[in-house]
Amino acid sequence: MSSSHDTPSHVQSTLAISPLFQRTGANNDDNARNNGAGNFTGGNIVGGRNNTSHITQTPHQDRSPLVQKIRDVSHLATPAIMRHNGTAGSSLLTSMTKNGLFGPALPSTLRKTSTSTETAELNSSTNDNDLDHASDEVLDVSELSSVEKLRLWRHDALMQHHYKTAEHIGDIIYSMTKDPNDAFWLAQVYYNQGSYIRAVELIFSDQLDSESIMCRYLAALCLFKLNKHEEAIDIIGDTNPFQTEPTALGNTDGGVKLESSMCLLRGRIYIALSNMDRAKECFKEAVQVDVKNYEAFDYLLSKHLLTTAEQWDLVRTLQFNDLDDNEEMIRCLYISRLSKYQRQTEIETASKVLTEKYYLKENRTVLLAEIELLNNQSKFTQCMKLCEQVLEADEYNIEVLPIYIQCLHSFGAKNKLFLLSHKLAENFPKSPVTWFAVATYYLCMGKISEARKYFSRSSIMDPSFGFSWLGFAHTYVAEGEHEQALSAYSTAARFFPGTHLPYLYLGMQYNKMDDLSLAEEYFMMAYDMCPTDPLLLNELGVVYFKRQNYIKAKKYMKRAHDAIKNMKSESKAWISIVINLGHTYRKLGEDERAVKCFKTVLESSKPNATIWCSLGFLYLRMKKIEKSVDSFHKALALDQGNQAANKLLKTALEINAHMLLDEDHPMMISSNIRTIPASSIFNNDKKRTALGVNTFDPVTEAKRLKQGISDHEGDSMDIE
Amino acid sequence: MERFALEDFHSQLRESSTELSRWKLFQSSKWSAEALMGMKVTNTDDMLNADLSLTTDGDDESPLKKRQIFSSHNVLFDFGVDENQSETLPDVIPLTDKELDLYTLASSLFDCKEYDRCAFFLKETTHDGLKFLYTYSRYLLWDKKVTESTEDVMIKDPDNFSQDLSEFTNTAESGNDITGKNCSGISLSNRDVDVGNGEKISLPKLYHEITEHLDKYKSRSKLNTALLMYLLGVIQKRQGVPGGAMSYFLKSLKLYPFNWTCWCELLSCISRTDESVLLLKYLNDNFSMVKDHGVVHEHLMLRFFKLSVFKEFGGDFDRYIEELGEIMNLFPNFSFLRAQHALINYKYMDYANAELVFDELVTMDPYRLDDLDTYSNVLYVLQKPYKLAYLAQYAANVDIYRPETCCIIANYFSSKQQHEKSILYFRRALMLDKSYTHAWILMGHEFIEMKNSHAAIECYRRASDVNPRDFQAWYGLGQAYEVLDKHSFALYYFQKACALKPLDKRMWFASASCYEKLDKTVQAIKCFQRSSQLSGEQDVSILYRLAKLHEKNNDIDECKHYMLKCVELDDIKKVQQTDELGKAKLWLAKHEFKHRKYSEAYNYANGVLHGTSREIEEARAILAECRKRIDI
Repeated sequence: MSSSHDTPSHVQSTLAISPLFQRTGANNDDNARNNGAGNFTGGNIVGGRNNTSHITQTPHQDRSPLVQKIRDVSHLATPAIMRHNGTAGSSLLTSMTKNGLFGPALPSTLRKTSTSTETAELNSSTNDNDLDHASDEVLDVSELSSVEKLRLWRHDALMQHHYKTAEHIGDIIYSMTKDPNDAFWLAQVYYNQGSYIRAVELIFSDQLDSESIMCRYLAALCLFKLNKHEEAIDIIGDTNPFQTEPTALGNTDGGVKLESSMCLLRGRIYIALSNMDRAKECFKEAVQVDVKNYEAFDYLLSKHLLTTAEQWDLVRTLQFNDLDDNEEMIRCLYISRLSKYQRQTEIETASKVLTEKYYLKENRTVLLAEIELLNNQSKFTQCMKLCEQVLEADEYNIEVLPIYIQCLHSFGAKNKLFLLSHKLAENFPKSPVTWFAVATYYLCMGKISEARKYFSRSSIMDPSFGFSWLGFAHTYVAEGEHEQALSAYSTAARFFPGTHLPYLYLGMQYNKMDDLSLAEEYFMMAYDMCPTDPLLLNELGVVYFKRQNYIKAKKYMKRAHDAIKNMKSESKAWISIVINLGHTYRKLGEDERAVKCFKTVLESSKPNATIWCSLGFLYLRMKKIEKSVDSFHKALALDQGNQAANKLLKTALEINAHMLLDEDHPMMISSNIRTIPASSIFNNDKKRTALGVNTFDPVTEAKRLKQGISDHEGDSMDIE
Repeated sequence: MERFALEDFHSQLRESSTELSRWKLFQSSKWSAEALMGMKVTNTDDMLNADLSLTTDGDDESPLKKRQIFSSHNVLFDFGVDENQSETLPDVIPLTDKELDLYTLASSLFDCKEYDRCAFFLKETTHDGLKFLYTYSRYLLWDKKVTESTEDVMIKDPDNFSQDLSEFTNTAESGNDITGKNCSGISLSNRDVDVGNGEKISLPKLYHEITEHLDKYKSRSKLNTALLMYLLGVIQKRQGVPGGAMSYFLKSLKLYPFNWTCWCELLSCISRTDESVLLLKYLNDNFSMVKDHGVVHEHLMLRFFKLSVFKEFGGDFDRYIEELGEIMNLFPNFSFLRAQHALINYKYMDYANAELVFDELVTMDPYRLDDLDTYSNVLYVLQKPYKLAYLAQYAANVDIYRPETCCIIANYFSSKQQHEKSILYFRRALMLDKSYTHAWILMGHEFIEMKNSHAAIECYRRASDVNPRDFQAWYGLGQAYEVLDKHSFALYYFQKACALKPLDKRMWFASASCYEKLDKTVQAIKCFQRSSQLSGEQDVSILYRLAKLHEKNNDIDECKHYMLKCVELDDIKKVQQTDELGKAKLWLAKHEFKHRKYSEAYNYANGVLHGTSREIEEARAILAECRKRIDI
């Protein structure tokens, strides 16, 4: 009981001041540590390594709605496992559910949720003494003081979302004890209820914020929720006050450190204030202080706040050893989230470890990593498949949805987009993703002004939602408003230093405006970030093509082609890359290769007059008149007004008429093939003597013709 | 030996018919069955046995599972090449119980034309046959949707059509009149079908699916692999890669030669005579030769194929007739052969015989409408309107919704000089089958009759897109452009036609005239020479033009040579007097006069009896002058 009046140290999580904790807090110093370890083993047993023991379920479990709900989903969802996937949301819940210290007689939800773990632990009682001690110390409610009982009541009510009860009892307790911790819990109840302002008032009226860091954090959080960002910053401080103190203390209770939470909150406030640099620092600090603060890490990545190098630096500095047995898994999880631009092999090994060693093949975080990878490689078909797989299990997965929407857009799947955006609008009217989906739908339909409206709505809701920013800029591009597009893209580039896309688009804009040097500059910036994006390589190639530096253009085009080769025809990007490559070859005079490129395109995409025209030109240059004329005809059949094709066709036909009818003329050869064997019918002696019929063989003749006018290239495609 | 082989072929045909219809290749299956029925009956006992073995289907085991019993027959006509590969493959891999159920479901869905559902249920399958059915139904789906989504100006309903056409000609005249509005032939081929859900069916995708499957699953049977190869070929052909398509068709045929449509597709991949020669050589080398006690047997399917090649591209006529006779002996009641015979007669312009054979065909297999459109052409050319009218009525009674029927009716109207109605029916035929080359060409002819060259060009163009082997389309194009005074275009098309029909003097003549118009004297002379070589009898007009060309070339000796030839020809044959002859004589008279050979000049000038009044005046002047000189 001695610790109950102390303000919790900043290194502790809320666990330290939980009413349950206080009861046993006296002898808890190393118990908590061991508890974490013990829990882990228990969790693993339940989690599927040893499937025999999770059947041991006590009848208590059925009583609590919380447990039932969890159980409905799956047996695997026992509280212990929740820590593993790293997504367990509030520290409070985590601390509650994993509390395996208390004896089986505890009648609250807390007890119930951890029963199975407990039993498992009891059964495998080879653990150290502390555990035995914990289970020996049967907690008897009747032994507790009346206040303690009230606190338990309050807590259980809060856990079961009986806010009214909790508020009522909490108020009574606070009036009785005047304990800042009780005030904190009362404020917590207010917060959960959504009456943030009351929580703030409670904390301020008793000046708890100066007394307890916990309360200060809660006050700042409430203010943040109330959109009073400046005030929140005032409360929480604009920098980390504990920066100077040694952080090596190590976390003793397994929860998320409060200090880290505060850093996270600070970062979120800065994001709301559009101060990305500060936000970035705060998030980094948060995750450095406590690696368990996944949310901060997620902010850093999903908001593209870090460049690839910074990301790897960050991961290197993180203290994964806090996590004991989970160290490797969590490290892999974190690595698999990193940007997929560079060091792909490391990311892939991390994913492999996760799937093979930890059986997390179906886990969403792992799948998400793969989805991001596929998206980055423009493999939209597989990407979409995987997205749909994830969304089947979790229809509104906020992380996967934006990528999924992108995929749908790239396939022009209007109908699915329509349904999806309606579903989202119904269920999440306040999510930026929703309006992103709506805007994308309009973009698909070509209704640019509507699309812009919704993109901007989405980015107003969450200014750090990168997809909407880019979409917003795209709408300007679609209308040919270069200046606005440029400014939108450069804002995006400022906000999201972690993605190369804004630079790529900026470069594309300048390229369109024929400002080649600026375009190249931006492309190079993007290239430094992500040297593997086929689209970017293609654009670079185009810049060099325009500068008539065809050798360099060819180099980049080929790299782009290599990057995207295996997908074949699945994307428009592939087609335009092959076309560009073809034009580059044409300029370099490598006719055969150019022909190959164009033919491949024509085989796999919609017919296009200009490509036929280019092909015809090449054939003309290669002196294959017949093929050339056919190609021009095809071009003109698709587009009557194609002047170039028209002119070239006339030239080709003139050349055709000019050609001498000697023995090598295709017309003569083909007639010879037939004339000779059939000559007896027509009694054509003259021809016979002229050619020397004895040596004549129609097959060799036909081969000669084939060599003369038919494909050298064949149909097998390999471009160098 | 021969008989045994034939019996074997008989049972193989029977097997192929059931097997092919099982995998929904109905046309091939029909062909096999017809061939079966048309076969010479050799020994009834054997037949009975074979029948029994087939009808054991009665017991509750599935016929599909029992297929292997049949395959254990000693197969005489096995293809020698690629033994190591093709030998190792079993003929058929039996379906497991579950796959059999799946097949039953998919098959009935397919029969109900619910291709989407069929494909859906077969999505995960790994069995080759089911995979084939899956991809095949997806291909049909694609085909259907693409066809639905394309509107065609040329075959829309006539009310709109006349407007469209006028507009069409207007744009053509104002702009550049080289090509028509949209060329369905190519614009169709590479379309994606979008379901609106981001799932697209496109040919490349289907292609990759099959090749992936073939790479992935090694255990497979001959028949099913052959079918997959066949489908790959069809896809490649639609993608515009005839070379690739051909190699797939050949692979397929090597594994399973009884798929007649596959042979037809193979034929449609080649567009030039030289290619046909190469293909036949390849087939001869690689296919079907089983040397048995020194006797060389050609596979019967290959012999059928050779007939078709000959029909399309020509070749050694005598050899062909012999071959046809032999096969007709083996299959006396096979209407397909009869039709081929008729078609070849038609192609060689022996219309009277063609008519006879067609008559036989109609009595033999009265409800077979295939190829009867050619019959109507024959009747049209022979100018037998009553017979044509009867045929039209008859076909309409059999089935009015067949493109052939529409085509016959159109021909009838054309013979009655009712061109609008004729076009209406051609259009109807094309609505039923867009790839119906005959109808396109004939419609082009109708437009020519109606002096609408632009529309005619469009029709011919479509025809040549569908079937580049048909010289008529190219020739028609050439003629239409000639009317429009676009000689370089016309020349190109005549050249194409000429490459297909190198033994037809009309082609050479047409090319020559174009060269002449384009002032390419040397080439023109070559072509005219060729043309006159090819015509059985000399033609005065060609000789005269040759002479004129040589004159243009300042080659007076040659010119005189040809002029003399003209006159000689006249002396030999006493053909009726033509303008050319008169002109030749006049030229000679002038020439001799110049060289002071007055008596010769007098003789020539005396022969000028026809011509314009000016020419006759000139001749008289020379006559008078000569008389004077001679008298002196």
